[in-house]
Amino acid sequence: MLVTLPYEMPELVTTAPIDIHRSTVLPEWVDWNGHMNVAFYVLAFDQASGAFMRNMGLGRNYVESKSGMTFVLETHVTYDREMRGGAPMRFTTQLLARDAKRVHLFHEMFHAERGYLAATNETIVMNIDYASRRSAPWPMQAAERLEAIWTAHKGLPRPAKAGRIMGLAKKS
Amino acid sequence: MKLAADPAASLRSARMKLPPYPMIDLDLGAPLDRHRATVQKEWIDWNGHMNVGYYVVAFDKATDVLCEQFGCSWDYTRLKIGMTFVLEAHVTYDREVKEGDPFRITTQILDHDAKRIHYMHLMYHGSEGYLAATNELMLMNIDYESRRAAPWPEWAMPRIEKMAAAHAKLPRPVQAGRLIGIKRK
Repeated sequence: MLVTLPYEMPELVTTAPIDIHRSTVLPEWVDWNGHMNVAFYVLAFDQASGAFMRNMGLGRNYVESKSGMTFVLETHVTYDREMRGGAPMRFTTQLLARDAKRVHLFHEMFHAERGYLAATNETIVMNIDYASRRSAPWPMQAAERLEAIWTAHKGLPRPAKAGRIMGLAKKS
Repeated sequence: MKLAADPAASLRSARMKLPPYPMIDLDLGAPLDRHRATVQKEWIDWNGHMNVGYYVVAFDKATDVLCEQFGCSWDYTRLKIGMTFVLEAHVTYDREVKEGDPFRITTQILDHDAKRIHYMHLMYHGSEGYLAATNELMLMNIDYESRRAAPWPEWAMPRIEKMAAAHAKLPRPVQAGRLIGIKRK
């Protein structure tokens, strides 16, 4: 396990949920239906996961210093309402679970001005050793920060849209 | 007593018996195995592999290929008849793909109803053959004008049913119906 990362740690945010990431729907993310394409919601959510990882001390300098990387293993998106080009986005992130190598995150995307829920994303992110490209325990500094976030988040109610299994509800 | 008009009858797609554009020959191969593409340079992230969002870009193109089978793809929207919206998506990232890698996507219909299709794409490395990712999706037909859910047009439904019947013979992919979580060992 890496004990000390070769760069300075950012100030730790432990609000519950974490509410730090903001972005804007880029014109090139809009498809022939005139709204943000499904794939770019995933890209936008991946940037919110990136903000969570940065808060753990595992931002771009984690990769650039060749210390490690983080890979997404699995992701589940609900598309709740359309977003048009230029729409401002606000993301909140709740830590649902964690272990020695992984975090289970739940993001919500809101239209930042109109306030409506646009989409949700449940995702599993795993720590990866840079050299072997295989899973590895979180670096100690990151693990400590993760525990502080977990302490703040573990009492939050579980989001209604977490843990969904896809299927057509049979009404008739 | 005066009966209320069928709300579907007011939809443009519901008034048309046939699409105002030619339809391709229906492919009843199971699974549908038509989509081929290559990992683009701009899809690569700082980890040196295809970024999670661009897997979905790639999968969404395979959805267009599926919708083309039943006449609800680009012409359907271009001519302002209807659209298809994704309601929900689940992706498993099984193995990395790199810049320039060829890939192949197969599609299996799992279920459908009057307005929706539940289906699954599997992405394979085009030359090495390994499974790179899976994408389970729920797609809904949308009326162009109202931007609301609407029944599949008359020309699409029989084709969807034929494909679903052909695909029903396939085993259900193990990645379908997954629940996200960290397993406790």
